[in-house]
Amino acid sequence: MARVLVLGYGNPLRSDDALGWRVAVELFRANASPDVLVLPCHQLTPDLAETASLVETVIFVDCSHKGEPGKILCEEVRSQSGPASFTHDLSPAALLALAAELFGVCPRAYMFTVCGECFDPGESFSPSVSSCIPGLKAMIRRQIEDALIDTVGRQKLVS
Amino acid sequence: MQGAVSKSIVIDPVTRIEGHGKITLQLDANGRVEDARFHVTQFRGFEKFCEGRPFSEMPALMARICGICPVSHLIASAKACDALLAVRIPPTADKLRRIFGLAQVVQSHALSFFYLSSPDLLLGMDADPAKANLFGVLEKKPELARDGIHLRQFGQQIIERLGGKRIHPSWVVPGGVSEPLTELNRDAILAGIPEALAIAERTLGWFKSIMENFREEIGSFGNFPSLFLGIVKKDGGLTFYDGGIRIVNSAGEVLANGLDPADYREYIGEKVESWSYLKSPYYEPSGYPQGIYRVGPLARLNVADRCGTPRADQELAEFHELQRTAVLSSFHYHHARLVEILYCVERLEQLLTDPEILSKHVRAVAGPNCLEGVGCCEAPRGTLFHHYKIDEKGLIRWANLLIATGHNNLAMNRGILQVAKHFVHGERMTPGMLNRVEALIRTYDPCLSCSTHAFGAMPLVIQLFNASGDMVDEVRRPC
Repeated sequence: MARVLVLGYGNPLRSDDALGWRVAVELFRANASPDVLVLPCHQLTPDLAETASLVETVIFVDCSHKGEPGKILCEEVRSQSGPASFTHDLSPAALLALAAELFGVCPRAYMFTVCGECFDPGESFSPSVSSCIPGLKAMIRRQIEDALIDTVGRQKLVS
Repeated sequence: MQGAVSKSIVIDPVTRIEGHGKITLQLDANGRVEDARFHVTQFRGFEKFCEGRPFSEMPALMARICGICPVSHLIASAKACDALLAVRIPPTADKLRRIFGLAQVVQSHALSFFYLSSPDLLLGMDADPAKANLFGVLEKKPELARDGIHLRQFGQQIIERLGGKRIHPSWVVPGGVSEPLTELNRDAILAGIPEALAIAERTLGWFKSIMENFREEIGSFGNFPSLFLGIVKKDGGLTFYDGGIRIVNSAGEVLANGLDPADYREYIGEKVESWSYLKSPYYEPSGYPQGIYRVGPLARLNVADRCGTPRADQELAEFHELQRTAVLSSFHYHHARLVEILYCVERLEQLLTDPEILSKHVRAVAGPNCLEGVGCCEAPRGTLFHHYKIDEKGLIRWANLLIATGHNNLAMNRGILQVAKHFVHGERMTPGMLNRVEALIRTYDPCLSCSTHAFGAMPLVIQLFNASGDMVDEVRRPC
């Protein structure tokens, strides 16, 4: 049973938007640890809530369109119910809320974002995003290591 | 003079559907709905930009049409390519494709019923729009939300186990499938069957228990005579993979049976209207628009004599008792969808326990032997046709796609008119009126394009225009 879940998401055909998906694909290929589950996906869907509820830590990776291009941000994510216009994709906070409300467990979660420059159709990254990928992967790996050391990350909401 | 000016209401975009569309309601001078149109405002053009590509690329390329039902496009496309190769695929490949298709129906129907429509059914059509989502369901009936998530995950995981990924897998190829099923994956899928069956039966039981609360909607949600079209097995049984086209009329009488899908252009006309990018197919012998027909779960259960699995057969018999004729109300698409989920889970178990299912012989290899091929299957939303013509080098020269949602275009428009006439009064729309118009559309679960990337929030805007084209009122639904 994995203890850490990495969810990298984005559209592989929308230039910088592919960042989370691409990083997850690379981490998936390099991952040999049974403690770590890496899932590249196009978007966060409600069916990921159960998977998230089974781990101690979730690490989200996404590209943002706000901020300084190429800048990496990492912040803790707290669960929060989804927006009114919800159909079948979710924010990280809403996914955690679903995990907590449906499956009784809310994992600790972190969000890595990089601000992108170009979201046009295409399969290559802008220079600013491309150059930050090695650093981003190193930061995610460190976060995974920290999470595996931390044994109290999981908050039992329902016994 | 205000009373003498005709006005229209525009609902743009329609929410909780797959893709982008808008509705225009034309009001008469007394504020009564006079006409209604469902406009599909996005354009894809897959038929054109595949021209010049090698036909062997088509299944993977066509899967990109949709992020919800890529498997159906893969299957229809691969079947069209099988016809170009002029091969009969190995029996195990045939069964594996069926499994793939059934898993897709389960996950897609689960998305439609639990994620998109259950808020209306559980919370009511007049519920606060801010609560009409899965979180609203979660608050009132968490087990329903949990069941929906489990069921969709069950279907998605089968697709992932067979195709390698959940969205846009390319495992179905011309001549069969690219990899055989492993014992490990077969056993893992079989292990999920009991829970999926329990969810399907539980949800059907719940739905039937609340149906009485929706008498008015049943009576006015696309409740009109039309033809119904779908593929059935030779014995009249329900199928999603292959068979002959059967058409029944509103009395439930078989109008045509055993039509070859490859000859679809002989009996299906395709009309293009200037106000929508969605084609309006019709049954050619009846003419346009009298040849209006419906496809999808409601149509499939209307054209099928049996399901061929024990529990679904019991449910089908009960479904047929809803009406002595064909079941006409589009509200019953929900019911039909749940019966189909039950069938799919039962059928998955039958196929996975087939002694040949682990055979390694899953692909027939050949070069192009025909210059034209048609592939047809039942996608979750209805009958799907892919039709290709190639040159002697195997390059696509022409393609035509008849998508399930397109078949229902005329019926959706007529349904919107009916529901709007019944529920919309005056020049101001209440959230309940608006939601009922949208809910009618949701019964068809139209897939206008799931693979387009929505960027940012999707506000709902209703605008009132007078006959001169001036906007006289506007209402925005908050995100």
